[in-house]
Amino acid sequence: MDRRNFLKTAAGTGVLAATGGLAMPALSQGAAAKTLRFVPQANLANFDPIWGTQYVVRNAAALVWDTLYGIDSKFQPQRQMVEGEEVSADGLTWTFKLRSGLKFHDGTPVLAKDVVQSLKRWQARDPMGLMIKAIENDLSAVDDRSWTWKLKQPFPKMLLALAKNNAPCSFIMPERIAKTDPFTQITEYVGSGPMKFARNEWVPGAKAVFEKFADYVPRSEKADWLAGGKNILVDRVEWVIIPDAATAAAALQSGEVDWWETPLSDLVPVLKAHKDINVDIGDPLGNIGAFRMNHLHPPFNNLKVRQAVLTAMNQEDFMRSIVGDDDKLWKPLPGFFTPGTPLYTEAGGDMLKMKNVAAAKKLIAESGYNGEPVVCVVAQDMSATKSMGDVTAELLKSIGLKVDFVATDWGTVGARRAQKTPPGQGGWSMFHTWHAGADCINPSSYTAIRANGDKAWFGWPDVPAVEAEVTNWFNAKDQAEEKAAMDRLNKAAVENVVYAPTGFYLGYQAWRKNVTGVTSGPLPFFWNVAKG
Amino acid sequence: MLAFIVRRIITTIPVMAFVALFVFSLLYIAPGDPAAVIAGDQASPADVERIRQSLGLDRPYLVRFGEWFFRVLQGDLGTSIFTSLPVTQLIAQRIEPTLSLMVLTLILAVSIAVPLGVIAAWKAGTWVDRAVVGFAVFGFSVPVFVIGYLLAYVFALKLDWVPVQGYTPIAQGIWPWFKNLILPSITLGTVYIALIARITRATMLEVLQQDYVRTAQAKGVSNRDVLFLHSLKNAAVPVVTIIGIGVALLIGGAVVTESVFAIPGLGRLTLDAILRRDYPVIQGVVLIFSFVYVLVNLAVDLIYTLVDPRIRY
Repeated sequence: MDRRNFLKTAAGTGVLAATGGLAMPALSQGAAAKTLRFVPQANLANFDPIWGTQYVVRNAAALVWDTLYGIDSKFQPQRQMVEGEEVSADGLTWTFKLRSGLKFHDGTPVLAKDVVQSLKRWQARDPMGLMIKAIENDLSAVDDRSWTWKLKQPFPKMLLALAKNNAPCSFIMPERIAKTDPFTQITEYVGSGPMKFARNEWVPGAKAVFEKFADYVPRSEKADWLAGGKNILVDRVEWVIIPDAATAAAALQSGEVDWWETPLSDLVPVLKAHKDINVDIGDPLGNIGAFRMNHLHPPFNNLKVRQAVLTAMNQEDFMRSIVGDDDKLWKPLPGFFTPGTPLYTEAGGDMLKMKNVAAAKKLIAESGYNGEPVVCVVAQDMSATKSMGDVTAELLKSIGLKVDFVATDWGTVGARRAQKTPPGQGGWSMFHTWHAGADCINPSSYTAIRANGDKAWFGWPDVPAVEAEVTNWFNAKDQAEEKAAMDRLNKAAVENVVYAPTGFYLGYQAWRKNVTGVTSGPLPFFWNVAKG
Repeated sequence: MLAFIVRRIITTIPVMAFVALFVFSLLYIAPGDPAAVIAGDQASPADVERIRQSLGLDRPYLVRFGEWFFRVLQGDLGTSIFTSLPVTQLIAQRIEPTLSLMVLTLILAVSIAVPLGVIAAWKAGTWVDRAVVGFAVFGFSVPVFVIGYLLAYVFALKLDWVPVQGYTPIAQGIWPWFKNLILPSITLGTVYIALIARITRATMLEVLQQDYVRTAQAKGVSNRDVLFLHSLKNAAVPVVTIIGIGVALLIGGAVVTESVFAIPGLGRLTLDAILRRDYPVIQGVVLIFSFVYVLVNLAVDLIYTLVDPRIRY
């Protein structure tokens, strides 16, 4: 090919393209109106709610897989796939029966054997599931719709375990899929929930599509969080992954998307001022900011040093660094549990109200601290951890601790925090995180409050008094007993500084005004949401 | 010529092998753990360890590299740790938006930058020249994301001429495809335009001093023909070279541009994979990018023969 031919060919290709010879029809207006476009909090990078326990996976899974029970806004478990249950007088045998007419997305009926296998897979990964497994005699199907769970000792929180919205939830899958090892990802996404996952349209990092499941039979009760009738009023829900907050805000303003799960607080004033956009609190259970200290190594293996940090800290500094000047979005938290929930307690939380640097310095002096650096590992790619990390560094310096500030990304923090080696040998002294308020309403799924040493969450606190009260809560016979156990638990956790709560904060959600039925909750609920 | 092309393609093999070894080693020593990301924030250390074992991340470096390299030789880039989808499928899903963005940016940049550079050289020392040089400084200095936000604010949000974000496949029509890509292309192309315009100007300034240009002008050849037929052709080799080198700039810039405009391309795939430590995806994408870059260099060498008949291989 010579120069002239080359140029002619190139030009010809351009003309072909410009004439629209490859054009395809676009979606009709009607189809667009029945499609709800949603910007989730994060990318749906995998889709196995047992294998990966990220909240975004749980939120998507709630559309595709149904649960036996669902938690309502009063934190009570309500029947969902289950028609009824019976528990023997000694509390050792539970018998459950499925609703009739339940179908998986592949058209096969939901049977008790599917439930049994799904529960076995869930048990292996869930803290409450593991507790049940430890006292289990037998879990087996009786017939197509019934199964029994025989225990060695009573487990009063059985229905809560099956209803809870904390990941991993006990989602029900077909037996063949649920047989997958719980530490291996499933590759078939068949559920019996109100929407089907359009796997062929899934572009991880860009888009996930859910289509209405025509054969889904919603309950007759009014929808209330994960309980009640899950009526789907649109044909498709498209999750559009927009990594940049400013772009997501612009897309919502221009109507390219309909609902944004977690708008950045800096952009909320712009959204509130827009005539076509509603803004309201997303999850009323919010989040608890936190930093964890490593109880295995100096200086935080010394109780007085940990107490000094709590004594000096001012939670307002941490909260304002995350939410800015919006006072509706944060509260001080003299304890470890979610404000506004039935068992909330501030018992024994005085240390978190002190904000007393002088007293903290006195504790440091009494502790015998001899200048070991605090290796403060901070993920810079997450705004909340970065903000809290900066405040913490100043706090530690103000009470005379030497700080080795390690600025890194979340992927590195995730790996490093699992290291038990001393801070100077690849380990760590503290890292920042946050806990969803929904996980902190009681000890059932509150991994971070546990203080059972080697088995505890990162930081490995070993406080028998905390563990005793966790057990007391599980064995409580009524709410009064539960409340008393929670009071003692909160006190013990503060006194021993299981971890440092930096405050309670909320976030907004935003949606176009032509979308109706959006509610506040611990996850986005798509049932009963319509688009005009 | 054919022998040259075959020779160059063969030399690609050791280059790619070195890139593979380098990338794999770099990721091996980099901190971070995909198992921790998969397990989620509330997972116990024991769960994280079980996942690490199930992914085979606890095995020795040489075993892992050997297995991966053997698969790559068979054309299998492996499976994403996070999505359980083949890396080739993930790349195939993302290649069209990135290719479209790069090609449109390239066309836009060359068609704007070359005339700008030529005119600046022709009008050297005048306000036109200073304006072009000023634009080039602006293009180099302003970060890609700032240009992106400004363009999106004005043309998408305020004027509502084009969408804010997303990508429409070319199969759904040229116009929707173009509307989605025009802002990202201008954003990505600004620095590229600046680069090409400056090189074109500098080269043209040199060529315009040549005797044959003065002769052409003395013979009464029009300014347009002197500039675009006589001078530009002789200034083309450095310009083509810089266009080729600039492809690396485009690859880097695509990561930012695709994030700002939410384009589901290879740039975002790479960024997401790095943040999650999805090793097979990172390795696959880097290999692809390296291969593309090697091919671009080959194409540049071949284009030399088209613009300068004296060059023969």
